[in-house]
Amino acid sequence: MPKIETFNLPDAGEGLTEADIITWLVKAGDTVEVNQAIVEIETAKSLVELPSPYDGVIAEILVAEGETVEVGAPIVRFEVEGEAAPEPEPAAAPEVTLREVAGPEILQPASRPQDDAPAQPVPEATVETPAEPASGESGAVLVGYGVKAGNVARRERRPDSLEPIGGEDDDFPVHAKPPVRKLAADLGIDLTTITPSGPGGIVTRDDVEQQAKATTPKMLATYAGDDQPWLESGYSAADGRSTRVPVKSVRKRTAEAMVASAFTAPHVTVFQTVDVTETMNLVANLKTDREFADVRVTPLLIVAKALLLAARRHPEINASWDEAAQEIVYKHYVNLGIAVSTPRGLVVPNIKDAHRLPLHALATRIQELTAEGRAGRTTPTAMSDGTITITNVGALGIDTGTPILNPGEAAILAFGAIRQQPWVHEGEIAVRWVTQLALSFDHRLVDGELGSRVLADTAKVMNDPAHGLVWG
Amino acid sequence: MGAATTPATMTLAGAINAGLRAAMERDPKVLLMGEDIGALGGVFRVTDGLFKDFGGDRVMDTPLAESGIVGTAIGLAMRGYTPVVEIQFDGFIFPAYDQITTSLAKLHNRSGGAINVPVVIRVPYAGGIGAIEHHSESPEVLFAHTPGLRVCTPATPQDGYDMIQQAIASPDPVLFFEPKARYWDKGEVSPERVAAQLSQPDGPIAGTLEMGKARVAREGADVTLVAYGPTVRLALQAAEVAAGDGVNVEVIDLRSLSPLDSDAVVASAKKTGRVVVVHEAPTAYGAGAEISSRVSEQAFFHLHAPVLRVGGFHAPYPGSKYEHDYLPNIDRVLDAVDRVCAH
Amino acid sequence: MDAVGPLSDDGLVRLLTHTGEREEHDFFSPYAADLTPEDLRGFYRAMSLTRAFDNESMSLQRQGELGLWVQSLGQEAAQVGSGAVLRGDDFAFPSYREHGVAFQRGVDLPQMLTIFRGLKHGAWDPKEHNFHLYTLVIGAHTLHATGYAMGMDRDGLVASGDPANDGAVICYFGDGATAQGDVNEALVFASVYNAPVVFFCQNNQWAISEPTTRQTKVPIADRGRGHGIPSIRVDGNDVIASYAVTNWAMQYARSGGGPVFVEAFTYRMGAHTTSDDPSKYRSKADEAYWAERDPISRLATYLESIGELPANFVAEVEEEGKALARRTREEVRSWEPGPSVGFFDHAYAAPHATVEAERAWYERFEGSFVEAH
Repeated sequence: MPKIETFNLPDAGEGLTEADIITWLVKAGDTVEVNQAIVEIETAKSLVELPSPYDGVIAEILVAEGETVEVGAPIVRFEVEGEAAPEPEPAAAPEVTLREVAGPEILQPASRPQDDAPAQPVPEATVETPAEPASGESGAVLVGYGVKAGNVARRERRPDSLEPIGGEDDDFPVHAKPPVRKLAADLGIDLTTITPSGPGGIVTRDDVEQQAKATTPKMLATYAGDDQPWLESGYSAADGRSTRVPVKSVRKRTAEAMVASAFTAPHVTVFQTVDVTETMNLVANLKTDREFADVRVTPLLIVAKALLLAARRHPEINASWDEAAQEIVYKHYVNLGIAVSTPRGLVVPNIKDAHRLPLHALATRIQELTAEGRAGRTTPTAMSDGTITITNVGALGIDTGTPILNPGEAAILAFGAIRQQPWVHEGEIAVRWVTQLALSFDHRLVDGELGSRVLADTAKVMNDPAHGLVWG
Repeated sequence: MGAATTPATMTLAGAINAGLRAAMERDPKVLLMGEDIGALGGVFRVTDGLFKDFGGDRVMDTPLAESGIVGTAIGLAMRGYTPVVEIQFDGFIFPAYDQITTSLAKLHNRSGGAINVPVVIRVPYAGGIGAIEHHSESPEVLFAHTPGLRVCTPATPQDGYDMIQQAIASPDPVLFFEPKARYWDKGEVSPERVAAQLSQPDGPIAGTLEMGKARVAREGADVTLVAYGPTVRLALQAAEVAAGDGVNVEVIDLRSLSPLDSDAVVASAKKTGRVVVVHEAPTAYGAGAEISSRVSEQAFFHLHAPVLRVGGFHAPYPGSKYEHDYLPNIDRVLDAVDRVCAH
Repeated sequence: MDAVGPLSDDGLVRLLTHTGEREEHDFFSPYAADLTPEDLRGFYRAMSLTRAFDNESMSLQRQGELGLWVQSLGQEAAQVGSGAVLRGDDFAFPSYREHGVAFQRGVDLPQMLTIFRGLKHGAWDPKEHNFHLYTLVIGAHTLHATGYAMGMDRDGLVASGDPANDGAVICYFGDGATAQGDVNEALVFASVYNAPVVFFCQNNQWAISEPTTRQTKVPIADRGRGHGIPSIRVDGNDVIASYAVTNWAMQYARSGGGPVFVEAFTYRMGAHTTSDDPSKYRSKADEAYWAERDPISRLATYLESIGELPANFVAEVEEEGKALARRTREEVRSWEPGPSVGFFDHAYAAPHATVEAERAWYERFEGSFVEAH
C-alpha cells in the first residue's frame, strides 16, 4: 500500500496565521522532487514559494487556488516510497485540548490521516478577518515561529500536588493569616491562647470567633444586680464560674521579680515601733514654709531622708549579692526606690543619686515619680539600678508588713500608718503619733546586727529629726 | 602596603586593595583593566600600588570606553585570563550594559557550558559622598535581574578582602559593587581563612557559594532589618537607637543579591515576624520588592506586619545638597521599625 | 555600476574577474602564488557545498522545519577564501552568516540548524574548531575578538620568532555593524594595544533593507584608516583575491604588525533572513547585476578555461552537495526537543541558589501532572 504524507501549511517565519494559495505549480499525478517548488502562497503582501518536502507523486491537492488557508491546515498529499503503516487507529485524542475553531486544528498532534476518511475539504469562511489574530496567536513577527496559541485547558494533576505557601516549620509561634491576626487584635484576643484548628496548625477566623464568644461581656465576673463586670478582661469558663486572665506585661514582670527575689535571697524582717510626733511637727512646719510651698510634704519625705541618713552611717546595707560572680557589690550611690501603686500594678521607680539631694529636691522627685507612676509613664530606666527601697504600706492604713526585696537590692523598708496612740512619753501616758517601721534584708550579705542598726537609726531620725543634724 | 599577613585594621578600600594584590599573586592570569587604575591607582585608590608592583601589563589603563573594556575582557577570558574590570563610577556602567547582559551573562549558557567567562566587574556605587551627578547611583538590581550574573557587595573590610578574592576565583561573571561611602570605614581583617579556602582544589566553588551567603550583623528578636552595602552601617545605628526604646533589632547584611540568601532572611522573618528592608536604590522595583515577595511567600503566617521598604525615591538622584534627605536616614528607618512594631 | 563611495566597486583588489579571467595585483598577487589548481578546486567544492547546505536550509524553513534561516548566498567566496588561510592557533569570530567559514573550520553544518530550529543557542564547541559561536548582537563580538587577540599576544603566539607557531584572530561582521559603537571601540582597543586581529567586514551592501550608504559616508575601509589600521578593499566575490588579501593580513597580524581592516565588497543575494522580503526595497536589476558576478560561476569559468575542472569532478561535487542536503534534511526532521528542565543547565558554572530552587520546583511541578508533557 503506498505511503501517503500530508503537507500542512507551514508558518513561513512571519508569525503567519494564514496564507492565500495563489498558484499551484504542480497537479495531481505529477512526480516531484524534494525541494521542487510546488505552490506559490501569499503571506502578508509577500509571495513565497513552498518547496516540496518529499520525493514522490502528488496524490491530491487539498486547497484550491484563491483559497485562504490557516497555518497548520493540510494543503497537499504526496504518495511516497515505503510501506504505509497498518490500518491507522483514529488519531489519538491529543493530550492537550486545543481551542476549537470553526475549521481544522491549528497544531496537529502527530497523527495519520485515515485512508478511508474522505479528504476533508477546508470549510469555507473559516478565517477571521486578517487583521484579527486568533486568541493567543501572533500578529506578524519578524523572526521565529510566531506566537503560538498556548494551552487553553488544564492538564490533569495528581492529587495533593498543591504546595503550601508560607512555610512549614513550627519552631516559631503562631501561624495566622493577616486578616485573622487583625481580627484577633481588634477583639483583644491573644493568639497564643487559642488552640488552632486550621491545616498545618493555623489559627483560623473561626477559632478566633469562638474564643471571642467565650469572652462576651455578660459572661465576665459580675455580681447579681451589676451591669459592669468587676474584671476588665479574661476568658470566662463556659459555666460562668471562673474567669481566666492571661498573665502579661506588668503583672508578669512583677511576678517574675517577686519570685526571683523571694526564693533567692533569705529574707529576715526586723520591726520597730516609733514615736514620730516630732516628725509630724516638722511636716506641719514645712508645709507652711515658703521654701516648700511648691511641693508636697508628707511623712514619707522624712522617712526617705531618715533612711538615707541611716544608709550613710551603714553603707554596707546599700549593696547587692552577685551570685554568678560570687561577689557583693557595694554601691557608692543611693538610688532610692519608692514603690508606687498604679492602675497597671505595682511599679518601683527610683530616685537617682538620692543621697545627694537636699530635702526640697527629694520632695520634688518623690512627687514626680509618684505622678509618673500613676499616669502609667514610668520608664524602664527609672525602674532600673535601684539600691534600696521604701514601700509605703501605711498609705493604705496598714500597720506593717514583711516586704519582699526589690531584686538586686539588699534592704527594703516598710513604712506603716501613723496613728495617734497612747504612749509613754517622759514617764507619763500621752497621746502621741506612733508608727511601725519594718526592714526586710538579704541575710546573705546583711547580718541581723547591721539590719537592726539601720532600722534603729532610721527610727531615731523619725523620732527626733534634729538628730539628722548630728549625723550630718 | 604589603599583602596582609597578620590581622590588621584596614579601610574597606585598603582591604579590597589587599585582596586584589593577594589574587594577583595567587594567579598570574589575573589582570586588572580600567580607566586610571594604573599610575593614578584608581580614582578611589583601590588599585593603589598595584601598577608599580605588577606592571602595566597586568594593571592596564584602558581607553575611555566601558563597552570596549568589558568586551575585550570577555575575549581575554575566553583566552584563559581572569580580567578584573573597574568601572570608574556606577553611573557610567551603562555603555557596557549590553556587553554585560547579552554577552557576559549568556556565554556560558549559550555554549552549553563550554565557555567560562570568569570576569569580575568592580563598581564603586551608591551615594552619600557629596558627589556630582551620575556618581551616586545604585543600579545593582538591573544586574541581579539578569540570569547568568552574580552580584555581591561587601559592607565590611573583612568581607571586602574575602569576597573580592572569591569573586576573582569564581568561574562565573561577578558584578562586585563597592559602597564608596564606606571606602574609608575601618575594620579588622584576617587574611588566613580565605587564603586557606582558595588554596583547596574546590576553593573556587566553595568561595563562590560562601560569597552568596548573608551574614547576621546583629542578633535580635523583635524586628528584622535587612540591608546591604552602604546601608548596613545605617541599619546597625538604627538598631542601637531602637535598643534604647526596648526594641531588639536583628540586622542582616545580605552581602549578595544574586543569589539572594532567602533562607537567612526567611529564618529571621519567622523569628521576628517583622521585616524592614533598607537600600539606597529607589524603592520602586528595588531589591526590597524581591525580598518582600520571598518573605511573604515563605513566612506568610509568621508575619505580624507587611514587609516595609526604606529606599531612595522614584526621582533621579538629586544634587548633593539634598542627598541626605533622598537617601534612607535613621529617622526613616526607625519610622519603618515603629510602624511594623505598631501591629 | 554607477554607485559611488561606500557602494562603489571601483578600485577593489581583484585577481579573478567576474568573467573568469585572472588578473594580477602588484602587492597581493604573491599572496595567492601558492594556490594550485587542486586548491582552487577545493575552493570550488567548499563554496558549492556551502551553497547546497544553504539552499536546503532555506527549503527546510519554508517547509516549517526551521523558525528562521539566514542565507550566506552570494558571499561564499569571501568566506571560503578567507577561511582557507586560517591555521593552527588562528581563531575566528563570526557574526551569524559565515557558514562558509564554518565549513572551512570543520563545523558539521547540519548541526548548525539546532540553533535555527530553536533547540540550542550554540551548536559547536569553539575550542574544537577555533571558531566562536555565532553572535547575534550586532558587532558585539568584535570586542571579544580583540580581547582574545590581546590574550594571544600575551601567550607569546605573536611574533614569537617562529612564524609557524604564530597565530592571530579574524573577526567577521557586516556593513551595518560598522555603525555600532562596539565595532568602533574594538578598532580603538585593537589599534592602541596593537592586537593581532584582522577585522574582516563583508560589505554585502544591505543591512536588512538599508543600503550601506545609510551606515557610512565614506568607503568602509576608510574606517580602519581613521584608527591608524592598514585597510584594504577587496572584491569579496573573488575567492582568489579574498584568499590573498587575508593571507597577507593574517601574516601581518601574526608577525606583530597589529590589526588589519579588510573590506570584502560582495552582495547579499538572498534576503536578510527568511522573514525578509527584498522585493520591497531593491530592484531586480540590481540583483541581476550581481548574479552575473556570482563567486562560484566565475571560478568555474576560470578553471574550465585552464582545463582544470573535469566534468566528473563537477558531478562528484554535485552529488556530494545532494548528499549533504539529504543528510541535513533527515537529521533536522529527526530532532525532538529534550526535557525543558534542561534550560536550567549552564545558567551558571557554579551552583546558584535561585537556579537550584527553581529547578527543583520545576521538577516537582512537572512531576505533579498525571501525564508528562
